Amino acid sequence: MSTPIIALRMRGITKTFPGVTALSGVNLTVEFGRIHAIVGENGAGKSTLMKILSGVYQPTSGTTEIAGNEVRMTRPADAMRLGIRMVHQELNLAPDLTVAENVFLGRMPKRWGIVDRARMVSDTRELLAKLGAPIDANSQLGDLPISQQQLVEIAKAYAAEPRIIVLDEPTSSLSEGETMALFAILRRMKAQGVAILYISHRLKEVLEIADDVTVLRDGAMVDSRPAAGITAAGMIRHMVGREVTNVFPKTPATIGAPVLQVEGLSDGRHFRNISLEARRGEILGLTGLIGAGRTELARVLFGLERPIGGRILINGKPVSIGSPADAVRNGIAYVPEDRKAMGIVPAMNIRENITLPILRRISKAGRISGSQDESLAKSYVRDLGISPPEPERRISLLSGGNQQKAVIAKWLSTKPSVLILDEPTRGVDVGAKAEIHRIVGELVAQGMAVIMISSELLEVIGVCDRVLVMRDGESVATLDRADLTEERIMALATGEAAA
Amino acid sequence: MTRPLDSKPHLVKRFRRETPLALVATRGGLILAIICVLIFGALSSPMFLTSGNFLNVLTSMSIIGIIVVGMTFVLVVGGLADLSVPATIACGAILSLALQPILGAIPAFVLAIALAGLCGLVSGVLVGYVGINPIIATLGVGTIVLGIVQSLVGGVIVYGTNPATADFVKGRILGIPVLVLIFAVVAIAGHLVLSRSFWGRWTMATGGNPVTAEASAVPVRVVRAGAFVLTGLCGGLSGALLGLTLQSARPLVGVGYEFSAITAVVVGGISISGGSGSVPRAIIGLLFVQLLTNVMVLNGVRTPDQGFVLGLLIAAAVALDLALRRRGIA
Repeated sequence: MSTPIIALRMRGITKTFPGVTALSGVNLTVEFGRIHAIVGENGAGKSTLMKILSGVYQPTSGTTEIAGNEVRMTRPADAMRLGIRMVHQELNLAPDLTVAENVFLGRMPKRWGIVDRARMVSDTRELLAKLGAPIDANSQLGDLPISQQQLVEIAKAYAAEPRIIVLDEPTSSLSEGETMALFAILRRMKAQGVAILYISHRLKEVLEIADDVTVLRDGAMVDSRPAAGITAAGMIRHMVGREVTNVFPKTPATIGAPVLQVEGLSDGRHFRNISLEARRGEILGLTGLIGAGRTELARVLFGLERPIGGRILINGKPVSIGSPADAVRNGIAYVPEDRKAMGIVPAMNIRENITLPILRRISKAGRISGSQDESLAKSYVRDLGISPPEPERRISLLSGGNQQKAVIAKWLSTKPSVLILDEPTRGVDVGAKAEIHRIVGELVAQGMAVIMISSELLEVIGVCDRVLVMRDGESVATLDRADLTEERIMALATGEAAA
Repeated sequence: MTRPLDSKPHLVKRFRRETPLALVATRGGLILAIICVLIFGALSSPMFLTSGNFLNVLTSMSIIGIIVVGMTFVLVVGGLADLSVPATIACGAILSLALQPILGAIPAFVLAIALAGLCGLVSGVLVGYVGINPIIATLGVGTIVLGIVQSLVGGVIVYGTNPATADFVKGRILGIPVLVLIFAVVAIAGHLVLSRSFWGRWTMATGGNPVTAEASAVPVRVVRAGAFVLTGLCGGLSGALLGLTLQSARPLVGVGYEFSAITAVVVGGISISGGSGSVPRAIIGLLFVQLLTNVMVLNGVRTPDQGFVLGLLIAAAVALDLALRRRGIA
């Protein structure tokens, strides 16, 4: 019997969500015994594709074949049964259990109904030795450094004897040496005939480890070929190469004095030595790959986390921001990235959400002024075009774009001088996106300073006056509007030389 | 890792639109149940529809009702429950009587309530600032406080020394029992704070989504702690009134009141997951429970069987809340 060469063949995979097409007609072929890298910008559809492959999502259309047989996976358990294993970027491990218990979690070897601990430990030792990972099977997982936990996660996937293993950004928490050790493990697995899907935006690593490379852009496959002869510049070109149309009309605004200045700010974990300046009437873009430390920086500026070094100045005066209330008092507002978790109180209506940060201001002797509460909400609902225009409607019943507008309204109610927007248009439809851009344009025209965190290069280039690019927690460059090109930003963000 | 869309199926499920039937179940169900109990009570017992019986129900309802007001804040703020109520009641009852000879009636009354509020503050700090699970924190604080109170009075019953105070709290103003009036004042004040004040809105927001509330400059720690302080004060007031009425107080005088209060709030349809609810709803829940108990007593239902019925009621109320929540209504 001959073994099939093709491990995975996905044909015409399309996935639509209400209002958005995440993937359109993606074809992907992966062979056994090869490492196949998938690269693309944030939001290009890599994760959606992998979620389809692991049974979390069902494709809207398209077929998946595993080892030549067409399969239909409706649950993650289906994918596991077919020998597909995922190694997630966020670790899915139990820190209070031992390494061996984690590796065999959910399928521990049993003897007369009782866990055969000795066998579990010896099997784990054998496995770790096979992978060349110097980890004690009996140590408690939470005591290990993140990099070793990552190896345990891989060992766990490997222990299930998968035919296809998917690694999502496996090196994001690893040092160079650890990355080399991981690569040695991957090569060993590859030699045993496992098909490996390797998702990364670290192009250098991709060039080093991958046998084949597929590039995704805007939910479509734009290139798929053997890695031999591919260059980082070539990949970047494929990742961003598209027609740049001016879908982001820019309202001209006069740029004035700096409102917010940050000098050498560090939080000790996610970013180091960041300096920046947000001026009146200016949109400062903050871009970089996910994990570059942008959101963490915003959280420090808004008082949700404490910095360990550096200064924050408002209108030239150093301020100490220990809580969001301090930030609001200093005229800083923050529209968070995760709208559902941090932006809205779902059980409240639009009005109650909008006036939440300014309740003290519209209260007399503790009592909220009903008329001010209502008129404020009504005017913001009208000004921002929130639809339906009913302030008494529960916010959870609005579309994503309208929820986002309500969150922006909430922060405008505090009359900020600096507005930080974290991925303000993620997950909203095209129409709402344009409206949000229009609103931001009007705000800067009125003299507000806006800091916009965005991973979408087209948006950054279309909207921002200046762009600070961050990589691995450091600011690598500040580009003026005239110097903004996708290739330039992507090269800075990934640390690769541009074409 | 890229996250192109915020499509989380389990969240989408919550945003389903409301159906008319479910709305009736949330808004009117309890009123309907109360009417049923009234009809059944009137048919089954000739005593039920007398003004004497209703005054009895109202008076016994008042002592728990005061605690229900505080407990409503605890549930709405997402604080699960305050189990230190027996301790704060004992604190109020025993101190208001024991301190009478030393301080005089009114200072003793005030100090007793203030000390109960202090117990609430300790629980509140443990929950709000230290982040201890409210069940554990209030259970711990309650046990300690009860122990202190018990050892202070030597584990014996404390008797009142000023019969005039008993006459006052048992008296009537314009035909309405003083206890009922005090309860009404507390309930109305609690209702206004929860529904009209910024503190009430903060309480709702903190219970609804503490992460958003914190990111919206709401001082969530203080708000959480405040709910427990309020319940402590309510327990103290309730206990002091109980002590003055009975003119005697045992350390275990308040045992069981915490569950009666939680039952009322939950039956009133206030979600144990926080973020919604009102004082009137909790009081309607209390009214229903009290009337039901009264009808059962008048019909000679034995106490263990009463407990069985109330237990079923809590389970049903929580199940209904979960079911409605899943449909995105409650």
